[in-house]
Formats: sequence, structure tokens, C-alpha cells
Amino acid sequence: MANKSENFAVSTTPPTGIISDRQIVILVSLLIGFILFFFMLFPLYSILKMSFLKNGHFSLASYYKYFRTPRIARSLHHSFYVAIISMIVTTILAFFFAYALTRTTIKGKNIFYTIIMMPLISPPIIQALALILLFGRNGLITAHLLKTDWSIYGAWGIIISEIFYCLPHALVILYTTLSAVDTRIDEAAESLGANAFQVFWKVTVPSAKYGLVSAAALVFNLTITDFGNPIVIGGNYNVLATEIYSQVIGLQKFDMGATISVILLIPSVAAFLVNYYISKKSFSLISGQARPFLRPSRMWKKIGFTGYCILISACIILIYVTVVFGSFVKVWPYDWRLSFTHYNFPSIGGYASLWTSFWIAIVVGIIGASLTLVSGYIVEKAKPKGSQLLYLLSVMPAAIPGTVMGLGYILAFNRPYYIFYGTPWIIIINVVICNYTLGMLSSITNLKQIDKSMEEAATSLGASIITTFTRVVFPLSKVAFMQTFIYYFMRSMVTISAVIFLVSATVHLAAIEIIYLDMDGRMGSANAMATVIMVIVLSFLGVVRFIGKKKFSSPQMQQSSV
Amino acid sequence: MSKELVLENLTKKFGELIAVNKVNLEVKEGEFVCFLGPSGCGKTTILRMITGFEIPTDGKIWYDGKVINDLIPQKRNFGIVFQSYALFPNMTVGENIAFGLKMRKFPKNIIESRVEEMLNLVGLTKWKDYYPAQLSGGQQQRVALVRALAPNPNVLLLDEPLSALDAKIRIRLRAEIKRLQNELGKTMIYVTHDQEEALSIADKVVVMEAGVFEQVGTPLEIYQNPKTSFVADFVGTSNFFKGVKEGSMVRVGDLLLKVASANGVNEDRLILAIRPEKIEVGKRGTLKKKYKENIFSGRLDVATFMGVVVRLMIELNGNEVITDVLYTDYEELGIKNGESLEIYLPPNGFMVFPDK
Repeated sequence: MANKSENFAVSTTPPTGIISDRQIVILVSLLIGFILFFFMLFPLYSILKMSFLKNGHFSLASYYKYFRTPRIARSLHHSFYVAIISMIVTTILAFFFAYALTRTTIKGKNIFYTIIMMPLISPPIIQALALILLFGRNGLITAHLLKTDWSIYGAWGIIISEIFYCLPHALVILYTTLSAVDTRIDEAAESLGANAFQVFWKVTVPSAKYGLVSAAALVFNLTITDFGNPIVIGGNYNVLATEIYSQVIGLQKFDMGATISVILLIPSVAAFLVNYYISKKSFSLISGQARPFLRPSRMWKKIGFTGYCILISACIILIYVTVVFGSFVKVWPYDWRLSFTHYNFPSIGGYASLWTSFWIAIVVGIIGASLTLVSGYIVEKAKPKGSQLLYLLSVMPAAIPGTVMGLGYILAFNRPYYIFYGTPWIIIINVVICNYTLGMLSSITNLKQIDKSMEEAATSLGASIITTFTRVVFPLSKVAFMQTFIYYFMRSMVTISAVIFLVSATVHLAAIEIIYLDMDGRMGSANAMATVIMVIVLSFLGVVRFIGKKKFSSPQMQQSSV
Repeated sequence: MSKELVLENLTKKFGELIAVNKVNLEVKEGEFVCFLGPSGCGKTTILRMITGFEIPTDGKIWYDGKVINDLIPQKRNFGIVFQSYALFPNMTVGENIAFGLKMRKFPKNIIESRVEEMLNLVGLTKWKDYYPAQLSGGQQQRVALVRALAPNPNVLLLDEPLSALDAKIRIRLRAEIKRLQNELGKTMIYVTHDQEEALSIADKVVVMEAGVFEQVGTPLEIYQNPKTSFVADFVGTSNFFKGVKEGSMVRVGDLLLKVASANGVNEDRLILAIRPEKIEVGKRGTLKKKYKENIFSGRLDVATFMGVVVRLMIELNGNEVITDVLYTDYEELGIKNGESLEIYLPPNGFMVFPDK
């Protein structure tokens, strides 16, 4: 042994780089802080400035004008009306759906879950498109079958679209809540003599109260900030988000757009805060211990809940079938012959926009996943001074409506010296920033699972922070990185609200084209474009899954459990 | 020549909380020191300050004649073994062991032979190309041990390295760590809350409580001559009585005890402690013949079978006294729960502490 060990007779320490680990952490934190500052706070500041400044002086003139112009002022009332009704209905529908999936022994849970999640992969206006095909002025049901003049345009069109758009989001929260609560307390209540309804109202519902509030707040936030569905199906029923667009793009009234943006910011930030704090609270309640054991449900319960899930799922499937079918029908609802004519998109935009959307989505995915992983590492692991501020900045984007962010980008960056303005890069930056919250939170969740001593082991063996990150942290975050990448990719493919302000004569995006096609009265082509986007997203997901299965099933990824 | 590790008035505060309060210690080269204490006593905080993961609030850490308070962990060349093993799951056993060597930019052939040598040391040669998840807990901790040893660290720090393992493997690995320490002559600092582990493995044991050192000494000193009642309680099992001096005797409730070392403490109010194995029990009338004093009659509450020995819980004038007897002796004694017996507390078996 002695001769073998001669190289190790004296102690050695590894060579160190020019800058220390601490300096690297500070530099990277400053860089990320700067990015968030410049591409999130600066646009917001530009909006505030625009709405409160007149000729260089503080002024409330824009706000006065807003409330004194009845047609515009109505949008506030409209937004609240739509958001509150959607919030109540969606939360209730999602709760019973989640209840069926977690607390009953119905069959086909996986299928139901997959179906209700479908809206996440489609452009968030598909609901409105389908409703117009069925209940619009030329709707299959309204005009063709019932021969009535009534059509769905307006408040109810928006509300129904929003319900189906928000269902998966609310379901995820309620599903998590209900699966986390220990079902044994239900059984305890029963054993103490409560009947099924008493158990439901006095035990099940109260135990899910945080989830309910959190889901309701999220739906409210999503609905009040949604742009796509109201612009397509709202007709003359203007809401805040669409009014910003009309003021800015239609009338070039940037000050009014900024004013409405500020008004929209208040309820959306409030709803975000409620959702954020409540969900933090509810997750602290989740005990890892609660392993739900389900007794077989009674017959009537099974039949009832199966029927309910089938009904909801059928509605969602109907939406997709209608849109896809609508893209092939020659003249809806008069000439039912099938054709590909709607897939001949006009030359501007068209298929080129699909390619642009695709490569932008890939770039967004890579940049978004990398940036959120690094910032998650800074906030969760490196924890330099001020990392709390960085965390705060990182979770803010979810509170800011897309339309507000889009307008903010115009106001902030429409200057000749910002050379990225008018190029795809501003869209890439915008999508990365707008979806930063979820990417960041999932990256933190993942990093929390990596044992702290793993990094300390690397450090004590002589690895610098960069080596530790590339050799240990990143390889252990591959799966999470892929998930964030997919999330960003999907968001980028289907997002509308912010980027509609940022597309230009040279940069077209497929999801935006749906709206333009719809505005041009090319309903069939709008459906076709939506269909192609869904096909692309689905195929991409399939490819990634396939590669992922091969790559990530090697033995080293099975984390050791102590 | 000898490289000492010295802690001088070392202090660590987390906000208001004082985790480590002005502790002093010298660790000689090649010494095996064990920090023993209940969770939250500050032992891991000291270890983390030595490794460089925590910066001391006050005081100094010296190594080889230099203050190393501000030295980054990479420059200290101290190896660490973690409770959770902390093996890199994305690298094979061989790659894990080579990690520290690669960081030091050793040439490839030297790294390879060193990895082989290390694997040999713990008998895991054929596991070189496996991933940690494919190994048992004990094997993983062996890999972690030689991974830390591979770059020839000045000091090896072990933070509760065996707590995650089950009892039998723990004892085997304990012996193996001791053997490695003897073979390599490496300075080792070991943190544990398991007193049996500490006593069996260390040259020097540091018993800690609430951020201070209660006692520093060899395992035997710690066990036989605990300096404080905390040490007497935490290390091994002891029976405690509160008493007051009464002439040459000590009064504990209704009992008047003869205590050999009672005058070693100036205060009148005392805490007496006696180890279970010092106590003798017998049938009524049998002990009186053998001993002159400190014979009392008690009642057997519960006898718990523990393998070789039986632990007796005896009610003695309102005090509960624990004593262990061999199973064969217990059979011979033939006393059932609830029956009375005679108990002898030898005067020189008592440890005496002031009652603060």
C-alpha cells in the first residue's frame, strides 16, 4: 500500500479559479435580477408612467376619462361579472370532478383525467371557436337546427369558454388537495354516526377549503386576464383585457390602454396573492403520511359520479371534435363536404407562422428552462444576500396579465436603440418572463429534493460551484429540466395575450394567426390553424416522451433512498 | 511537525440562538475524537464550522498553526462523510471515488490506481462500475468513506455516518472505521448521538449539551467519572436521587444512605447517581448477612427480559430504581412482580453532584 500511495503522501488542494464561488453567485444573481428588472419591472413602470403622467405632470385625467366614458367604463363591470360567475361555476364543477377522481372508486379515472387536462395543450381560444361553430350566428345548433336568431356572442359565450378553459387549472389544485387529505377522517365521522351528506358537507368540504379558495382565486385571475376567448366570442361585450387591445391597436390610444392596464392589474394581483398565500398554507398541511385507502363506493354514488364525469368529458371532447371537424367542412353549416381548402392559409402568416412559432417555442423552452433552473438554484441553494428579493421578482410574472405585459413591452422598448424590438427575440424574452413563475416554482420544488449534503460533498472534495452545478446538480435535475422545457414549449406555442402586441409585419405567430383569421371571417381557417397547432404540440410531446423514456430509465436516475 | 486542529473560544450564533458557546479543544494528529450529545446540542454545528460550511461568529479554528476561519472548504482539504452518504447518484462507484482526485487534476493512471486501492480498502472492488442505487446502505457508506479518503485529506470528518443504517451493519461498519483509522493514522472527528458508538470507537469523547462541552475525556473516564449529572445521565444508564447531607450520611426521603464520596461536594444539597450494574438485589434477609449498610427493602414492579440480562424496576420508598441482573440470576432469585426484595446500594458506587 505504501508504494502505491506515494502520490498522496502530501496533502493537495485543488486549483481554484480566478473568481471565487461567492463572486460567481453574486454575479449570476445580479444578472438574473437585472433581466427580471429590465424585462418585467421596467415595462410595468412604463405603464404606470403612461397612465399617471400628462405633459410631464402627475395627473388622473386618464382615469377620469375612463370612468366618464360609459362604453369603456363598462368593461370593468363586464370583467368582474364574467370572472365571478366563471369562478363559482368552474370551482364547483372542478371540485366534484376532483372528488370523483380521488374519493370514489369509479372506473376510467385515467381517461377522465387525461380528457379534462386536454385544454392545457391547445390555444386558449379553442373553446370560443367551438362555441361559435355550435351556437354562433351560423351555428350548427342555433342557426341550423333550431333556426333561431339567438347566438352565444357576449357574456355567456365568454363565461362558458372560460369555464372549459379554466377547468384543468382548478382541477389540478383540487385534485392535489383532495388526495392529500387523509380519508380516514371521513371514516371517523361516519363511525361517529354522520350520514354521507353530513360527512361531505361537514368534513370533506371543510377539509378542502384552502384548495377551494386557492382554485377559485386562480380561476378568477385566469378569467379576468384572459384575452383570447373574449376577443373571439365577446362580440360587443368588452372586457378589460380586450379593451386594452382595442384602445392600443385599434385607436392608438396608449394612455387609455395603460390606464385600463393599471385597473386590470389590481384584481389580478389581488387574486394572485390570495392563490399564492393560500396554496402555500395548504401545502404545509399536506402530510406525507396520508395514504388514501378507498373503500368501494356505493352503487348510486358510482353511477352518479361516472355520469357526471362522462358529461364533462363529453363537453370537452365535443369542443375538440367540433373545431377539428370544422376545419375540414367546406362551408359550415351549409355544405358538409370535407375538404382541405381551409388549410390553404393566406400567404401572409400562414404556414411560415407555424415554423416561426415552432422554433421560437424551442428557443423559449431552452432559455426558460435554463434560466429558471439557475435562478431556482440561486434562491433555494446558494442563497446569497438578497435572494429573497430575487424570489419575489421571480414569482411576480404570474400576477401580471399578459395584455398588460404586452402593452408594457411596447411602451418600454419601442425605441430605435432597443434593436431586439420588432424581432422574434422580444417575443422570446416576453414568453420566458411571462411564464417565469411556474418554471421557477417547479425548479425550486425539484432542487429541494436534492440532498444538501450532495453539494457539500462535492465542495469538500474540491469542486467549485460551477463544477458542482454542471456535474452534480444539473444531471440530477434533467427530468425537471425537461418538464420545464415542455411547459415553456407548450405555453409558447399557444400563448396569445401578451405576444399579440409584439408580432409585427415580419414576425407572425400561429396562435395569433387564429385570431386574425377569425377577425377576417375565415372561421374555417382559424379552426385549421388551431388544429395544426394542437397536432404539433401533441406530436412534440409524443417525441419527447419517447426519447425521455429511453434516456431517463437508466439505473443512475433511480435516486437512492435512505 | 504534528498537525494539530485547535478550537479556540469557538462560538456560533444563529440570530438570538447560541448554538455553540466558547468551546476549546485540541485534536492531535492521528487522534480519533468523538462529539457526543443529544440532537440540537451544537455538535454538528461545530463539525460544519471545521469543514467551512458555517462561518464562526466568534473564536478561532487553527489547523497546522494557521487560523482557517475564512478558508473556503475546497482549500481545507478535509474529507467529509455524511449521514445520508451523499453519493452522486449519476456517477458510478468508481467515478464517485475519483471525483476528488479529478478536481485535483491528478493524471489518469494515478487516479485509476488510487480508486482501485480505495475499493480494495473496503472490499468493494467488484462494485466499481455499479451505481450507488444498486448498492446496499452499508456498501454505500463504505464508498462514501473511501471517496472522502481518496484525495488524502488532512482530517476526516464524519457526521452521524451510521445513523441511517440498521443495528447490525452499524456495529460492523463501526469496527471497520476504527480499523481504517488505525491503519491510516488519520485524524478523525466523529459526530454521533449514540453513546455506545462514541464509547466504542473514540480515543477522546467530547460530551456536549446546549452548545458547551460538559466533559472531555477518554471513553472510560467519561463512563466511570462523569463530571456532571448530565453526563452521568446521557452516557450509560444511571439511577438518580436528590439528597441532603445529614452528618456523615445523605438523606434521600426516608432513607439514610452512606455515600463514600459525599464530601467531594461542598454543597449540602446533592444529586446522587448510581449505575444499574453496581446495585445488588436478593431475597429478603440474604443481603443483610453480606453487607453492613445501605440495605433496603423494595418491591419489584416490573421485570423486562432483555436477552442476556433482565432489567428490574424496583420501587424503593417512592423512588424508582433500575438494576440489571443476569437472566440465570433472575431465575435463581425467583421473585415475581409485586413481591418484595432486598436491595443493596454500595457506598462507593455513588457518583455525587451538587444540586443546582
